[in-house]
Amino acid sequence: MRTILTLIRKDLQLFLHDKPAVALTFIVPIVLIYIFGQVFGVSADSSGPTGIRIAVVNEADTAATRAITTALDAEKAFRVMRDETLDDGTVRPLTETRVRELIQDNTLRFAVIFPADSATDDTFGLKLKVLTNPRNEIETQTVNGLLQKVIFTSAPQAMLAGLRKRAEAFIGEERTDAFYRRMAQTVASSFDGDADEIYARMKADTFDFGPAASADANAGSTEANANNFGGFIDRIIKIDTEQLAGADVKSPAATRSVGGWAIMFLLFSLTGAATSLFDEKKAGLFQRLLASPVRRSHILWSKYLFCMTLGLVQLTVLFTAGRLMFGIDITTHFGKLVLVCLAASTACTAFGMLLASIAKTPAAAQGLATFLVLTMSAIGGAWFPTSFMPELIQTLSRFTIVYWSMEGFLRVLWQGADWIQLLPVLGVLLGTAAALNAISVYRFNRGNLFD
Amino acid sequence: MLAITSVTKTYGSLTALDGVSLTLRPGEFLGLLGPNGAGKSTLMSLIAGLKPADAGSITLEGQPLTDRDTTVRSRLGLVPQSIALYEDLTAEANLRIFGQLYRLDRTTLAQRIEEGLRAVGLLERRHSLVKTFSGGMQRRLNLVASLLHQPALLLCDEPTVGVDPQSRNAIFEFLEARNAAGLTIVYSTHYMEEATRLCSRIAVIDHGRILADGTLAELLAHLPSTEQLRLTPSPAATAALPALADFGTVTTGDDFHTVALAPATRLSAVFAVTERYGLPSTALQLRRPTLEDVFLHLTGKTLRE
Repeated sequence: MRTILTLIRKDLQLFLHDKPAVALTFIVPIVLIYIFGQVFGVSADSSGPTGIRIAVVNEADTAATRAITTALDAEKAFRVMRDETLDDGTVRPLTETRVRELIQDNTLRFAVIFPADSATDDTFGLKLKVLTNPRNEIETQTVNGLLQKVIFTSAPQAMLAGLRKRAEAFIGEERTDAFYRRMAQTVASSFDGDADEIYARMKADTFDFGPAASADANAGSTEANANNFGGFIDRIIKIDTEQLAGADVKSPAATRSVGGWAIMFLLFSLTGAATSLFDEKKAGLFQRLLASPVRRSHILWSKYLFCMTLGLVQLTVLFTAGRLMFGIDITTHFGKLVLVCLAASTACTAFGMLLASIAKTPAAAQGLATFLVLTMSAIGGAWFPTSFMPELIQTLSRFTIVYWSMEGFLRVLWQGADWIQLLPVLGVLLGTAAALNAISVYRFNRGNLFD
Repeated sequence: MLAITSVTKTYGSLTALDGVSLTLRPGEFLGLLGPNGAGKSTLMSLIAGLKPADAGSITLEGQPLTDRDTTVRSRLGLVPQSIALYEDLTAEANLRIFGQLYRLDRTTLAQRIEEGLRAVGLLERRHSLVKTFSGGMQRRLNLVASLLHQPALLLCDEPTVGVDPQSRNAIFEFLEARNAAGLTIVYSTHYMEEATRLCSRIAVIDHGRILADGTLAELLAHLPSTEQLRLTPSPAATAALPALADFGTVTTGDDFHTVALAPATRLSAVFAVTERYGLPSTALQLRRPTLEDVFLHLTGKTLRE
């Protein structure tokens, strides 16, 4: 037994000395569990998406449309936008035309438009438009579900209030009041309720139509429930959904997801290639190389350019595989796609070189790489929409290469962005690469890689 | 050819080289002999331009050698202590890469690769991956890789570490042939047998200082005696020691007693004394001093310590 304990103690000491192993064993899973928890609602006090930006243009301004927008405001998944702040600080209400522009360039991905003829307080029924840019399937499905819930639970009440006002105008307040009293008494006697209370709620437009409406609305059912109340609601509320971007994309699901996975594996392969510098050092190859007409900068630049080219080829192969297997259209915007791939692989290579420059051992570099790549992939949107994460993480995601690489891929493949629209993404990726390279060079000059 | 002048190198509080000065003439085979940690590899690194010296200068053929000057560095070749090869590539692929770094044209490079591999007995394995080679074969290839560009000066940093006797001998013969053809070589080792066999000149280094520098004969001349008589301890040997002290310095030990014979001592007179005390010839050992003795004399310790 003592022998076994001694050997266990040995393993423990070795494990504790291997900091990357400790990090991979504890820190990486904790971070990923946290992120998954946020996304899938494991967290007790916070679950589901938050802060998905949705524009609302209410040109009708009726009780029903106001009720819907109020309900949208109350939905924590949404951050409702009704206006925009211009560069000069002035605030301008959003219009449908402007919203369409914002959705097409991915500033927004969802909007609810109530046209001027959407509804009136004197008519019964409602029509509205939902504009989408379904770049992310999970996000889009979630938003659609939430919108239906909000609309179908908030609109009927307001619409019936309008109906009551019309009745009052048509048959007079006194006769309407009498109608409500008799109705309340009928309901009370039939369902064993308090007639006065039912009457008061009818007058205040707060009488609940029961669970049927919201349940059917949540289910989003249409024809199957055409004969019940939900079907009735479906018929009086007409929603026109219009997809403003990606409508022509041939293989939407694959187009959305290939970029995220590609960039994650690109990061893994390029950090591996960059950290191979350690292997060359260990083998004494730097001694031989530096004793020849080779400078340190030659070694670093050759490694950088190799990794960059490898990344470009890898992404090209992966997208070509996506074309062959899933029919992703890479040919229409091939030049732009290659440019984004080049920028992405440049940034990923810079990231790998940075790891090689700051890590002291190959094991440390690999451990750090695993941790950072998985974390960046998770919060950068490679696995699931960033909108499902806490707003702080959504902000942090914008500091990841994964986020901007995916942004570039989707702008090209989903949005069919022009060169001007691509410039910010390319600028961020190349700027990131330049910044990381500057740090790497500084670290390589001060480090002991070449000693 | 090579001039090292008052070179100093420190790592934090550790002084690796302390005012080292050496000169090397064309065609010389200089051995840097010293124990582990003496400063041999640091000196090699400085000569190869891998690290800058803190003070002093190193010039090759009159040109200063710095860690940034690649032109002068192309005049030297380095055989690193480790096997600096890409083990997942073939022998030929390795040599092609290293040759191309010196901008050798394709024809010349192909010719030199073939010559080099043939010279070390690896021509038939040219297409084999380096990782399939034995340690000795890798060492031989390591050597060839450093000579493709035909340097004027070859630096060998303990190139036979972990090598089997057969490969070691092949390496020795290869280096001797190259030296005979005019190649100047600096060879660091802590094996005195290697220095004795290969080097026309030996510099003894310890604690970052050159303690002695010269041919083997010149180094041996540092010793107070040229020959030693060793006696197996016995009552007769103990009795003979006072008489033997007339011929040199006597030291006693558990394994043997030693008489360091003074220069120009007549051996016939020494053996007359041993015969008079009845010491059999099997109890006597006449021994010429070695580099080990020189090192012991200079540092007070053996090379292995």
